[in-house]
Amino acid sequence: MATGAASAQPAAHIKGPLVWMNMDQKELDDAYDQAVYAPNRNIVLKRCVRNSELARERLGAPKRLTYGPTKFEALDVFTAKTPNAPIMIYVHGGSWRVGTASQYHYLAEAFLTAGANIVIPDFANVGDVGGSLLTMADQIRRSVAWVYKNAKEFGGDPERIYVSGQSSGGHWVGVLMTTDWQTDYGVPMTILKGGASGSGMYDLKPVRLSKRSEFVKFTDETEQKLSAMRHLDKLVAPIALVYGDQETPEFQRQSRDFYAAVKAAGKPVTLSVMEGYNHFEVMESIGNPLSLFGRAALEVMKLRPA
Amino acid sequence: MNATATAQRAKGPLVWLDMDQQALDDAYDQLVYAPNRDQVHKRNMFNSDRVRARLGAPKRLAYGPKPIEQLDLFATDKPNAPITIFIHGGAWRARTVKDYAYQAEMMVRAGAHWVGLDFDGVEGTNGDLLPMADQVRRGVAWVYNNAKSFGGNPDRIFVSGQSSGGHLAGNVVTTDWSKYGVPANVVKGGLLCSGMYELKPVRLSKRSQYVAFTDECEEELSSQRHLDRLNCPIIVAYGTYETPEFQRQNREFAEAVKKAGKPVTLLVAEGYNHFEIAECIGNPLSLLGDAMLKQMGLV
Repeated sequence: MATGAASAQPAAHIKGPLVWMNMDQKELDDAYDQAVYAPNRNIVLKRCVRNSELARERLGAPKRLTYGPTKFEALDVFTAKTPNAPIMIYVHGGSWRVGTASQYHYLAEAFLTAGANIVIPDFANVGDVGGSLLTMADQIRRSVAWVYKNAKEFGGDPERIYVSGQSSGGHWVGVLMTTDWQTDYGVPMTILKGGASGSGMYDLKPVRLSKRSEFVKFTDETEQKLSAMRHLDKLVAPIALVYGDQETPEFQRQSRDFYAAVKAAGKPVTLSVMEGYNHFEVMESIGNPLSLFGRAALEVMKLRPA
Repeated sequence: MNATATAQRAKGPLVWLDMDQQALDDAYDQLVYAPNRDQVHKRNMFNSDRVRARLGAPKRLAYGPKPIEQLDLFATDKPNAPITIFIHGGAWRARTVKDYAYQAEMMVRAGAHWVGLDFDGVEGTNGDLLPMADQVRRGVAWVYNNAKSFGGNPDRIFVSGQSSGGHLAGNVVTTDWSKYGVPANVVKGGLLCSGMYELKPVRLSKRSQYVAFTDECEEELSSQRHLDRLNCPIIVAYGTYETPEFQRQNREFAEAVKKAGKPVTLLVAEGYNHFEIAECIGNPLSLLGDAMLKQMGLV
């Protein structure tokens, strides 16, 4: 018989003291545990791995290029047919602790067929770097700066670099787009021309209060520096936000509140809500150029589906 | 969530292959294997609304005298364009093709007209499948006769269907078209997804509670028994998370077509259940979407 409802809800319990907004510890922990709300997580992840294999069969293996000194710091590039094409950099998710670029090749064709290069960086998982998100942030930022400096070597246009990501990758999109590029990385402040972020986290305080603290070593510095919502003064490019209405209510709130904050700051932002999609189904949907997420990512690049 | 019908119970006498009555009933009850049915349906309605917002409302045209005998046409702006006709599923129960508009954009963008047929569910036919097969066949004949009126090419008509729509699409590609006054080769290719092609096991299942199967219905509408009439290339597809019996239906049909020496491609969508595979028909980069576009010569 069926072993799980489609849109699951956490089990009932006796409510404890509030930890964040209207949530007690258990509810906040559940809010940052996708499997509680998305019982088909493993099916969708496996499907994406398989569809990535099938994509490589059609496209051939990507170029594998090194962007930094540690063993983690390399990226996959699928190159567009036309020279000097725009570049989408996709930052994968996985709660900061799992995932490899190769598991996300399924989304490459949505960008290639629309005429863009697609770059998917690998980087350390949080468990590889002593729980430090700051170390991960530096790697991911360096991968972007590397793409800017080396774009021409793979036929990319350094003046048309965009980023996208989902889940903890959506968190990284927020971080990348509020980076002090000139001061910290010696590249133009306007290096990123736009971004599309799915199901991201833009304020780390509630995440820090949740059980994710068991594997992420949050500090005041981490929370402050990597909460994109607190650095909107550095946001200089349009951002498209997407989430699914079957995600945890707290993840939905993160995207809604970030949208409202960017809008209040008078900066260009869009919000798309995908009805009937859970966290992982949103992730999968960026590979479909006709889906809301796929289309949002292409539109931010000023491209249309093939 | 990889749901399987393996509740602990004593097995009864075998009714079909290795299945007792309960196992066979479960095999023809998608919800047992696809618990996210309602969520995917919600998604389909949402994505269909999005497609109508982008493409505009479809043309609504009548292909027959009954009020239900109408179709939705999403037209491409390319002249003399090929036409794909979609036959929806829903276990033969009443559904509206409006909820399948999410599949249209891929075709329209690629330069084809998308036609979705409305037709009766068994609720409107006293449980009889024969009038439903007649309706979808008349729908196809109507499209052939009227294609030029909307810029379509009558010599490039393709059909697709999923679930009970895959069953009916199987009937369409094994039709004696002389009864409908159109050429025997009116259909140039088809996608039969998650369909049923042999009705005997379905008749033995609890679907008999709402479908009034007769010997005639079983014989006439088991397309696997009429492969002599099949005269176009077909794609048969199923997902690996469908019920094992549905997977078998599709595998064995493809095998039978191959044995008959006729062109057939079997596609297995790994990791997709019965409802998720239907969504692939609207994605040009999915296994199914890509195969359909290629079959129609659009990529």
